[in-house]
Amino acid sequence: MADSGPFKTVGSGPVKAPEPPPEMVTVVIDGKSHQFPKGTVLLEACNAVGADVPFFCYHAGLSSPAVCRQCLVDVKGQPKPVPSCYTPVADKMEVQTKSPRALDVRRQMLEFTLVNHPIDCPICDKAGECLLQKHYFDWDAKFARNDGIKVKKAKVVDIGPHIVLDQERCILCTRCIRVCDEVAQTHQLEMAQRGDREVLTTAPGHKLDNPYSLNTVDVCPVGALTAKDFRFQMRAWELYTMPSVCPGCATGCNIEVQHSRGQVYRLVPRINPAVNKHWMCDEGRFTYKRTQTERLVAPLSGGTPVEWDKALDDAGRALSAVIAATPNHVGVVFNAQSTNEDLYALARLAFDHLHIGKAYIAGQDQGWHDDILVSADKNPNTAGAMAIGAGRLRTLLDLSNDIKAGAVTALIVVGTRGVLGSGPAASALPLDRLRALIAIGTHRDGVINAAHVALPLTEWTEADGTFTNRLGMVQRVRAAVPPAGDSLPGWEILSHLARKLGATMDYQEAKAVFAEAKQKLPFMKEADWGRPMLPVQLRFANSRG
Amino acid sequence: MSTTELEARRVVLGFQDAEDLGPPDLPTQPVPLNMGPSHPAMHGTVRMVLEVQGERISSADIQIGYLHRCFEKESEHATWTQIFPYTDRLNYISPMLNNVGYAMAVEKLLGIDKALPERAQFIRVIVGEASRISDHLTCLGASAMELGAFTVFLYALKAREWLFELLEEVCGARLTSSYCRIGGVAYDLPDGFDAKLRDIIERTRVVLSDISKLVERNRIFRDRMDGIGIITKEDALAYGITGPVGRSTGLAYDVRKDHPYLVYDRFDFDVPVGSVGDNFDRFAVRVEEMYQSMRILDQALKMIPPGPVVVADPRISLPAKSETYNSIEAMIAHFKIIMDGIHVPPGEVYSFTEAGNGELGFYIVSDGTGRPWKCRVRPPCFAATAVLGKVLPGLFIADIVPTFGMINMIGGECDR
Repeated sequence: MADSGPFKTVGSGPVKAPEPPPEMVTVVIDGKSHQFPKGTVLLEACNAVGADVPFFCYHAGLSSPAVCRQCLVDVKGQPKPVPSCYTPVADKMEVQTKSPRALDVRRQMLEFTLVNHPIDCPICDKAGECLLQKHYFDWDAKFARNDGIKVKKAKVVDIGPHIVLDQERCILCTRCIRVCDEVAQTHQLEMAQRGDREVLTTAPGHKLDNPYSLNTVDVCPVGALTAKDFRFQMRAWELYTMPSVCPGCATGCNIEVQHSRGQVYRLVPRINPAVNKHWMCDEGRFTYKRTQTERLVAPLSGGTPVEWDKALDDAGRALSAVIAATPNHVGVVFNAQSTNEDLYALARLAFDHLHIGKAYIAGQDQGWHDDILVSADKNPNTAGAMAIGAGRLRTLLDLSNDIKAGAVTALIVVGTRGVLGSGPAASALPLDRLRALIAIGTHRDGVINAAHVALPLTEWTEADGTFTNRLGMVQRVRAAVPPAGDSLPGWEILSHLARKLGATMDYQEAKAVFAEAKQKLPFMKEADWGRPMLPVQLRFANSRG
Repeated sequence: MSTTELEARRVVLGFQDAEDLGPPDLPTQPVPLNMGPSHPAMHGTVRMVLEVQGERISSADIQIGYLHRCFEKESEHATWTQIFPYTDRLNYISPMLNNVGYAMAVEKLLGIDKALPERAQFIRVIVGEASRISDHLTCLGASAMELGAFTVFLYALKAREWLFELLEEVCGARLTSSYCRIGGVAYDLPDGFDAKLRDIIERTRVVLSDISKLVERNRIFRDRMDGIGIITKEDALAYGITGPVGRSTGLAYDVRKDHPYLVYDRFDFDVPVGSVGDNFDRFAVRVEEMYQSMRILDQALKMIPPGPVVVADPRISLPAKSETYNSIEAMIAHFKIIMDGIHVPPGEVYSFTEAGNGELGFYIVSDGTGRPWKCRVRPPCFAATAVLGKVLPGLFIADIVPTFGMINMIGGECDR
């Protein structure tokens, strides 16, 4: 997983009491003296100063069992090389990470690991981002001395709803067991048998089906655990990656959108110690799927695909007619799925230019939650929507009543997803009573079908913006793939619409909307847009793991 | 070049007569004249914006870039090995020499340039010198044809064809050779290569002697070559001109002699140097260089040792297929080299070799990943083309053809 450094998010997160400065110890690594806080793991200390000690079983987010013996280093005074992932630094410790003995034992361990490893690279999904490949290439690079028969194990084990296990490829690092134990907090995986017959397995009759099971695929250093969703879809090195934020719930897990040729293939977690650490839930990983199906790709006027100009003209005319006759009968629906930028542009149009008093909040219905990562609020930007609405937003039940009472005869909806959720109020919305329904939406859903004018909106993978998570952190979402069809970002559509209504909103880019919102909205005061980024092809990002 | 100097040279050659003094200086108006980019004599698409007074050129603006293919930028998006096919298209009449130049730059950065297998070094010399001969044959043949000597063109291309066919046997392609690899060459020489090359050398010697007989005492040819397009030694130094063009001015600089690479220090060969720096000197230098290349080839064929043709490090060269298919170690090595690219340590390097047109330099910066962070080429004919703006004024329009031909500007290399 990529370091979260360059994609730093700033926000009014939980305030911690300042910790007392830690006690420092002096460690000599490869002849150079360094200071570390007492208790630092030696492996982390070595890698922090660029010593580049390899490892399989160690993971920064998990405990260390020291089973892989790849991180052995020489410590002065110790009779044998020590596993650095299991050794805390001590004062005056002298460490040799590249002594001939340390390199030799590591190479021997790799040779043992490779003895029974199947020759699967061409058909293995992990190839290209495999730690075993990386470590062999970097640290061993010797040809096989053993041409014996490899031990046969089960190749395709349907171990859970999302995951397939290949026991032959497993190098027995136990990372996946610890992910289940320590992150999902359920012991679903275990090692069985011994020696070269040792295999990873579940208890008989049980499945690897916890809500965080796909993290085992991420941490698997080889291709033993592969995701059914990603399996055989795309070679890892062909993917480009873009940092973003999961739209699945209010937690706002930091992710990378991995895509190729305009199509998203998978979402993987990106490290952010303040939000999701190294992990994300299985549900969040599939949020990309809806961005690629049943999209609204062209503006519709009266249900017929039209050019943008005509659609905007029609929308402007329909709204202007209602505004001229009954100015206080216009309503707007904010959506907790939209970015801060789209919501801010909508607020500007509705409150500052059209002086609309009737505003409502829509979003996905509440769902399940746990104490690990998943929030019950299934919208990524409820906090942002509520803050931008500034107390003026009412519920969809109110909207339903207002339409029935004839108090709302024209409606602008941005981000239709969720407006027709499964809740009783939403499904009872009498949209057919409206004289003008302008729907700016991503998918062909009930609202779009009922709309007089429907305008195609980009999804979160296609536009730049920010989401505000439940901790109030404003986090950056980045456009990874081109917009579907003719769709445009919400702020841009609203700018065009505003001009048709005689208002002057002239935003040229999402960054400008962000900059203006940052000036005006207190909750965005510390937010940071970040630097422009080009997608990085995983092929040249070196192996990950 | 003053008229008196022109006359003096022609007297030496014994061609002086009344017609040679040129037309009387009639009053004229300056006329702009566009030559190229699509002109039969502007090989490789180059544009010359001339200002002429009568038949005489008063200023020349040489505009290059019509064959720009983003070689340097493309290289930043390809693995170290994937760049070889791009280098074929630099100087596309001697692609082997470009292959060698690029491979040596990367090897220098990897620190294996002194550890290449001997046989690989000899093979590189052999295919390189064969390419140099084909390069010069093309240049001389095409230029002679433009001066009306069509037979020379056919003779030259006949010999070039023998060499191309031999190189095709080596690497499978006439032009798109992609024969070198980081750490050596892709495969060993084919069976019977030795005898075939010796035979071709003998036949090419005959062709060269025929060509010399056809043009060297040919009045039409000499009139348009002698004393035309003179580049001074000082200009050659100032413009950074190397190779046959630089040597024609008397500048005895040959990378193979002055900074020997591969096994060039083991061969006995001479660096031909001109004295006047005119078109004929460039012609003569190239002819002599072909004889010298044949000398090198003769020696190399005698000295080439048996052995591997690429370094045996699985981090650099692909393992044998039998290993790749049957052991996980070799499979991983194969996979990593193909998909990630060779890991070249971070750093920068300038490496230069003697290509057909002179010093072909590669300036490469690595950030430690499988592809270059920057891959800059110093194309030898770029400098030689640059000097045309200074050389052409004062000449006749007709002189552009042999002068430009003898510069041997290759669009693929100059524009990259």
